[in-house]
Amino acid sequence: MSNTVTRIRLAGVVIAAAASTAGLAACSSPTPSGDASAAAPAAACEPAKGNVTLQYWNTVPGMDQVVALWNKNNPNIQVEMKNISTDQYGIIGNALKAGKAPELAQVGYDQLPSLRTQDAFVDASACADAVAAKSKFVPWTWSQSSFGDTGVFAFPQDTGPMALFVRSDIFKKHNLEVPKTWDEYAADAQKLHDADPNLSITFFDPNNAEFFNGLLWQNNAKMYGYSGDKWHVTVESDQSKQVAEYWQKLIDAKLVRTDLAHGSTPMYAAYQKNQIASYIGAAWGYSMFRDNLPDQSGKWSIVPMPTWGSSAASGDWGGSTVAFMKGNTHLYESVKFNSWLNSDPEALAMENKLGGLYPAATAGLELPALSEGVPYYNNEKIFDVFAESSKNIDTSFAWGPTQKTVNLALQDALAKAAAGDGKLTDAISAAQASALKSMQDLAIPAVAGN
Amino acid sequence: MSNQTPTRESRVSRTAAMALMFLLAIYFLLPLYFLIVAATKPQGDLASTFGLTFSHFDLFKNLDTLFSRSDGIFGRWALNSVIYAVLGAAVGTLISALCGYALAKFKFRGREFLFSVILGGVLVPTTALALPLFLLFSATGIVNTYLAVFLPSIVSPFGVYLARIFTAAAVPEEILESARLDGAGEFRTFFSVALKLLTPSLVTIFLFQFVGIWNNFFLPMVMLQKESLFPITLGLYQWNGQTARAPLLQESVITGSLVSIVPVIILFILLQRFWRTGLASGSIK
Repeated sequence: MSNTVTRIRLAGVVIAAAASTAGLAACSSPTPSGDASAAAPAAACEPAKGNVTLQYWNTVPGMDQVVALWNKNNPNIQVEMKNISTDQYGIIGNALKAGKAPELAQVGYDQLPSLRTQDAFVDASACADAVAAKSKFVPWTWSQSSFGDTGVFAFPQDTGPMALFVRSDIFKKHNLEVPKTWDEYAADAQKLHDADPNLSITFFDPNNAEFFNGLLWQNNAKMYGYSGDKWHVTVESDQSKQVAEYWQKLIDAKLVRTDLAHGSTPMYAAYQKNQIASYIGAAWGYSMFRDNLPDQSGKWSIVPMPTWGSSAASGDWGGSTVAFMKGNTHLYESVKFNSWLNSDPEALAMENKLGGLYPAATAGLELPALSEGVPYYNNEKIFDVFAESSKNIDTSFAWGPTQKTVNLALQDALAKAAAGDGKLTDAISAAQASALKSMQDLAIPAVAGN
Repeated sequence: MSNQTPTRESRVSRTAAMALMFLLAIYFLLPLYFLIVAATKPQGDLASTFGLTFSHFDLFKNLDTLFSRSDGIFGRWALNSVIYAVLGAAVGTLISALCGYALAKFKFRGREFLFSVILGGVLVPTTALALPLFLLFSATGIVNTYLAVFLPSIVSPFGVYLARIFTAAAVPEEILESARLDGAGEFRTFFSVALKLLTPSLVTIFLFQFVGIWNNFFLPMVMLQKESLFPITLGLYQWNGQTARAPLLQESVITGSLVSIVPVIILFILLQRFWRTGLASGSIK
């Protein structure tokens, strides 16, 4: 499966490269992200004279209905949307190189720097509304989509603040309190395993770099920084090693399973058979359990992530922005639509209901649907936990300009370590090396360390 | 004694052959059986119940969800698949028949060379052609239209090859001669005489083409961006990519997969008698 996907992506890349004569030229002169002076100058923000039609590409289920609502109320600014979930970044990449990018496109937070390196965005900061939108969003999301306030390149759409999903009945049965720190979590893992050798506290999917990055983020591991015209790569740090060593210990003691792929049928089957007592997940994961394991209704609780120290800290797993794409000549209208799309309560409620989006807008966190108890989770107000988690996410975390390559290198090494070949800390070193190498290959100036 | 030995042997070997075929049948039908079972389950039972036994029978509810999702987009995809596959296979078969007939019945310079080139075309996987075709089509501006999928679908080197072999076997020179003597032109000869004799073999070519286009995934994925032009394969793939956010889509992907193989099965059942006639007419000779 993952092989096929990679092959298809590869083909997409080949097509992208070949489809454009300018492809090579575009690649050879990367603009390092984070450098305000190198970014394209902010385009003018004038309302258009007549009617405008905007293109908006995304991967969100049910987004067509949200767009239809906008179109009904805004005859002068019509939006045409396209679902690009077949090959999100391949399709965006093709369009960019062919000079046919849409006005707006969905881009994940971790892919923003890499696309900016390819000069994919326009700065909308000439629009006063765009700059003022800062106050509408959860701080870290704004920090990432504005690259530390160097412009307005995207509006945050949704996030995946992390939390711990707990089978409270299993914990109760074994007389365990819900763990508050990672140390308690490890101790509970041992106790559960001692009580029942078939029971694991959770699983560790080595082929999921995004999940692992979320864990690193929670421990304030800063992976990238940009200053003095170059990138500072600190993927390998005391914080990241601490996370790796922690999970290595659990794996060595066989307290967590490493044979389950996230979201796979075997994973759900293991939960169904009561073999796993908790799940470290993100806000969008609540529907996975509700819809795939209806029999376990009432047995789950959602609590804050276990912490490393005494103070609350959380990480983010997933989430996207809606970016202003290169060649956008209707910034005024784009900002209007983008702002409505990602901060209007009615739009946010629809996106949450149809697409499962957990809003990045602070107003969204107070949606009626997100302040009610959820029947599957014992009528607990689970979204309060995610809202709290959202506030505890480190705002200074940044992604690298070659994140996809680094993620692949990280996964390869994590999978090896999980199979007993090497340690998780080696995976951290591999990711560090891959980050430096991949940037070097693209002639992006980068150094190791601060 | 000497009479019994061969019958006993043949009974043993027949039993062995039957047993082997029985095993193979199970092997081939198992995924289909799984698909049928899975399509009747609610999403919650997919992971939590054993894959090969029925649980709740929710097939009709699943079908209803499938066809009503996103304003019935699945129906649109199904229609697109039918258009691509039926039209593509029909036109493709006609072209193959014309080419194969010409190669088999007319002697002209370079005939064998041409045939070798076409045979070479059989060796090139269609997936490898998707990229050059995309570049050609994007230069002509027909990317993201029905034509982008339809035009490549009507070309089939393997069909031409089959048509030539079949024509050589099924259309005797004498009949063509007499048709010409009766004053029929070349096209008349082809359409009124040769085509009738070729029908069983053309059904074979049609089926090959139909199944090929119906299952084609890569070409539409490269060519199409507009959801309303997608065939079923691509549509289901798109849904499958969204299951992390919308878990209930998974059941629709499974039910949709079941629905998508039904037309192919029906077509095979309807057209298999032509196949039999083809085999039988061969045996008389």
